[in-house]
Amino acid sequence: MSSKILQVEKSLILFYGVFSLIVILILVPLASLFLFFRYDVLVKIFHTPILVSELRSAFITTFEASLLSTLILIIVGVPAGYVLARGDFKLKPIVEAIIDMPFVVPHPVVGVMLLTAFGSRGLIPVGIEDTFWGVVSVMLFVSAPLMIDTVKIGFLSIDVSLEQVARCLGASFWKTFTNILLPLCGRSILAGAILSLARALSEVGALLVLAYFPKTVNILILEWLDTLGLPYAIAVSCIYLIVIFIMFVALRIVTRSYAIY
Amino acid sequence: MLYIDNLHLKIRDLEIMIEKLQINRGEYAILLGPSGVGKTMLLNAIAGFVRPIRGRIIIDDEDVTFKPPEKRGVCIVPQNFALFPHMSVYDNIAFCLKLRKMSKEEIEKRVLDISKLLEIEHLLNRRPHTLSAGEAQRVALARAIVAEPRLLLLDEPLSNLDPERKLRAMELIRRVVRERRLTVLHVTHDVSEAFALGDVVFYMRDGRIVFRGSVSDFARSSIARPYMELVERVVARCETERSVRSL
Repeated sequence: MSSKILQVEKSLILFYGVFSLIVILILVPLASLFLFFRYDVLVKIFHTPILVSELRSAFITTFEASLLSTLILIIVGVPAGYVLARGDFKLKPIVEAIIDMPFVVPHPVVGVMLLTAFGSRGLIPVGIEDTFWGVVSVMLFVSAPLMIDTVKIGFLSIDVSLEQVARCLGASFWKTFTNILLPLCGRSILAGAILSLARALSEVGALLVLAYFPKTVNILILEWLDTLGLPYAIAVSCIYLIVIFIMFVALRIVTRSYAIY
Repeated sequence: MLYIDNLHLKIRDLEIMIEKLQINRGEYAILLGPSGVGKTMLLNAIAGFVRPIRGRIIIDDEDVTFKPPEKRGVCIVPQNFALFPHMSVYDNIAFCLKLRKMSKEEIEKRVLDISKLLEIEHLLNRRPHTLSAGEAQRVALARAIVAEPRLLLLDEPLSNLDPERKLRAMELIRRVVRERRLTVLHVTHDVSEAFALGDVVFYMRDGRIVFRGSVSDFARSSIARPYMELVERVVARCETERSVRSL
């Protein structure tokens, strides 16, 4: 009996070893970025009005667009996730595959697809290229599967009998949805929103094709790397990473404190 | 009263044909049958979660075949009790009363009344995940009964209980159902539940009702014979052992 316990502990040591390796793999590039960070470059940026203005508008565009796309995805993703979790229709596997498409489509192709769909000369000529809505649509497109799939898993984890009992007790579909399903799926919706926001904040490939302007932080980093050099790109990257890190830690704390039962 | 007329249900490979099923007001009906014959599917159709291909479901002279579940006056206690995990026991029981927009005092009075009847007053502030199976079962019953349903559907409500708790639960259900004069359809595959609780028994096999009658008729039927023989054998064995001991 005791030798078995020892074996389990040995396996755990191996697991911890692998886990530490992954943490190191993530930490090394992060640390090196901050090691190469130059404070004098940061001072130069903040003493050059044009750079400050570019930086400010890039941050505003990035966070406005990503938060808006996440909000839209919450509104759209919750019913979509419910339909995929509870619905039983013939084309469901095809619909699920279509929803997961943005996972596998290369990012520049996403840009080209959206350009051909909603560009000035596209199928639906809305003219979203190089507009704020172009940025939002790219973020929506790449984040949608994360939101919908996470919410779907959330709904799937709720026993159908809870819904049935609520209906029998006199709750309409909407009352059941708001009083039973939404509170029980709240954690999944929050998790989906965090993942979607993260995905939106990291997008650049499709933006290069569809909406270079208004510049997001990612585009600005690429541009400064080309025009001003690596130290400037590192400085913006560091600021961006710190802001994102604080934001996600706060969101994780909110999610964790959202204890349902 | 529940009256089912010529009901045809089909989901994938499972098909049910019920020519006639009647439960009178205040009657405790047991729907018996082996697992997988469609007992739960029939219950779901009565509750409004399975749309019949044809036939009628009538409750208290009202055709509810195509009515939504919330407008049928039917309450269900599923096998897993399905207590809302994010609500306290009190809120679980008060759920339907709040939907009916009753006053706080009225809700409190009704919840306390039913809690006393089912001996769960001490659990009202607890969360469902802290309850034992027996406690959860009583809370689920309280939640269903407080809604004053025209028909109470019990889907194997005793299957998760150990033998001792099961006996106590059967006594309690019998008492509460009589006191509240409830019409009950209780689905089970356990013959002992039929004998302990039922006024009438329906036996289902291959998607059809193959027996309907009183509990005593059922005890004499060929379906119950193996069970009765087993009981007789156990009784005979006990008596033999007793007489051997007394020698």
